[in-house]
Amino acid sequence: MTSMKTRGRRSALAAAGIAAITALALTACAPPGASEPAPSAGSNGEDGGALKVGFISPTTGNFAVAGQEMVDGWNLYWDINGAEVEGITIETIVEDDAGNPETSLTKAKKLVEQDEVDFIVGPLIANTALAVAAYTASVDVPNLHPVAASDDLTQRAANDLTVRTGSMGGSQANYPGGEWAATEGGYDTAVTLCADYAFGWESCAGFVQGFTQNGGEVLEQIWFPNTTTDFSTYVSQIQAAGADVVYVATAGGAPGPNFLNAYLGLGLDMDDLLLNCCAADQGTLRAMGDQIVGLKSVSYWAEGRDSEAVAEFIDAYGEFADGKVPGAYVAGGYMTASLVASVLAERGLVTGEDLVSAITEYTFEDSIFGRVSWDDYNQMVGPVYVREVTAGDDGNFYNTPIATFEDVDQWLGRSPEDALAQPTYSQSFQGLE
Amino acid sequence: MSNRIVETRTVRTFGPPRRDRAQMTNIALLALLLVAAIALPYLGASGFMVSLASTILIAATLASSVNFLAGNGGMVSLGHAGIAAASAYGAGWASRQGLDPGMQVLVALGMTLLASCLYGLLSMRTSGIYFLMVTLAVGMLIYGLAFRLSSVTGGENGISGIARFEWLDSYWIYYYFVLGVFVLATAALWIVSNSPFGASLRGIRDSESRMRSLGYSVRSYKLGAFMISGSVAGLAGLLSVWHTHFVSPSSAGVDRSVHLIVMVILGGIGTLLGPLIGAAVVVMVENLLSSYVDRWPTLLGLIFILVILFARAGIAGSAGKLFRRLRARSKAASSPEGDAPGGAAAPPGDRHAVHQGKDPQ
Repeated sequence: MTSMKTRGRRSALAAAGIAAITALALTACAPPGASEPAPSAGSNGEDGGALKVGFISPTTGNFAVAGQEMVDGWNLYWDINGAEVEGITIETIVEDDAGNPETSLTKAKKLVEQDEVDFIVGPLIANTALAVAAYTASVDVPNLHPVAASDDLTQRAANDLTVRTGSMGGSQANYPGGEWAATEGGYDTAVTLCADYAFGWESCAGFVQGFTQNGGEVLEQIWFPNTTTDFSTYVSQIQAAGADVVYVATAGGAPGPNFLNAYLGLGLDMDDLLLNCCAADQGTLRAMGDQIVGLKSVSYWAEGRDSEAVAEFIDAYGEFADGKVPGAYVAGGYMTASLVASVLAERGLVTGEDLVSAITEYTFEDSIFGRVSWDDYNQMVGPVYVREVTAGDDGNFYNTPIATFEDVDQWLGRSPEDALAQPTYSQSFQGLE
Repeated sequence: MSNRIVETRTVRTFGPPRRDRAQMTNIALLALLLVAAIALPYLGASGFMVSLASTILIAATLASSVNFLAGNGGMVSLGHAGIAAASAYGAGWASRQGLDPGMQVLVALGMTLLASCLYGLLSMRTSGIYFLMVTLAVGMLIYGLAFRLSSVTGGENGISGIARFEWLDSYWIYYYFVLGVFVLATAALWIVSNSPFGASLRGIRDSESRMRSLGYSVRSYKLGAFMISGSVAGLAGLLSVWHTHFVSPSSAGVDRSVHLIVMVILGGIGTLLGPLIGAAVVVMVENLLSSYVDRWPTLLGLIFILVILFARAGIAGSAGKLFRRLRARSKAASSPEGDAPGGAAAPPGDRHAVHQGKDPQ
């Protein structure tokens, strides 16, 4: 029974304690951290010549390979050129987001608030990129996107602090493919097979608009779930459609080789095939080898292009990765780093919105993608290549350009206002009237 | 032996709650924890740390809703992320229509009730593995809708720019708001667990046929339990979308639901603080440790395996058990009977132990 007394006293004590603390919390002013302004970009600007870069990329999880390649491309540039431009040193902090938007956001907060980075590069996946871009814009930190392909990043969700530096939107990069197929390619009808999610919808929308605007007719559009491994039923559907040209868009990885195996296995003609960037990336080329020499695809990145910048990049990456040829993800990271270096060399130390405007006012004459500039929505305007697989002397396979479309913008022949007034692309809306 | 098991279970399930010193320690511990949580922003924690604490509390609220079903009803749901996502998408959709946060709350509430009702109606006739599969399937359905209905949900890109109330704008005020909601939700779930309703749920968990023969409407109890759990999950979904200002299909994904179960098991099924502990471990490994360790998913898996192997009752459950064993040992000299295990922190966990015949006593 004595315990009962103690208990009563204790609970009274505890209650009093809680009440006191709550009262304290309520009456006291904001915590010490709250009054400080959010550390904005440029906080490091005064100490003369250091740029702190936060790099978010999925280096674990489903997208680990692509995520690691993007980081490798970025690091490779600084490795071969030194992490210093005109006395400005570049320090990079890499954070892993595992492809998860919530983690991406937390990492972005950490980089901005704790590490006080001057700008953020990445992440990779469309939804993580959109989430981070919205956050960085709200705290006035620039956000550079080396790979993320979502159209909206530089369209409906565009802002002054977000710039796509190493890739094109899904529709933009494939629009010239449609144009080429209808004109130079000489095809009258097409059937498309695209991944059934945002990137596939956008890629297909680009192709079918380019194709129909130049007089082609799209007979059928087929969609496959991202997880498809057996493409034989889709190939039969393609066969049944009986079109002149087959356009295929995947998001990279296993679907590319899986589709090609099914397609070639049924004895269909490779000459009637046009792939997007990622279905014919280096991973596919390595997996398929000799049998796909001559395969055509469309992309902003062509590793077989005859150019000094590309040659230097390929040599450096070969040394770094046991003689492998870099794909579009590595190129995106490398392109972003070389762009930052070029802008810093020309303009000196710029941060915040000035960094983004310095990039978008810049014309990169001899980049690994060719001559690129930026539009008012901070999207790359540059060449798109129709490529053909060739076997190199070194035993590697290269996508070599057979046709080049210069200064391709993201509006697919419309005015920005008209393009933005459309709904976003989906299975049911491909931008056709 | 079997006699004793039946007796212990009956007494602890239907008997009045035991008030002993263990429970007092628990309450004191809880008060201490609450004080620490309230003091956190004042202890020099950076804005990032406070916002990470909010993330933990939101995850813990969601895990509590899973824990409530799993601990009391023995119903392990693999689809709770879907309910939270339905609520988050409700708020997101309202925000996209230009509605104010007040309306967001209403739409989110409506979506929550709709989703919970759907889950509950489809799963109330099932138990065990079938329950798991039904909730998994409905979760996938919600994920699929979020992914496909791109005109409403923004598809894979999700909806961004979802604003919360202006008075909640500051990160630390929002932290206190989240803390308050978490405490209220946990208290509410605890009260329900300790009510006759909770006791009947545990009865159903232990023997559905017995409860049915006693005249209980097992289905309605299960539906009711799901609606309660779903409401808390929906609340967590709203908190999370106000925290990140963003929602995308990945928030409804299976891996998110699996993470929730990992949190609950890590912390201890059926314990009061288990979800919080589990959520803290998972969120911190995911967001803090991953900055230093490249192979952090491996590490998370390793922690999970160790807990399963050596601390079946989870971190909270095992700590309570260890504490009681130590106390029983020190008391053994004076009273040969020992002290009955119990206490607010881990009653259902204990019953599991009894059930498995692993009670240390």
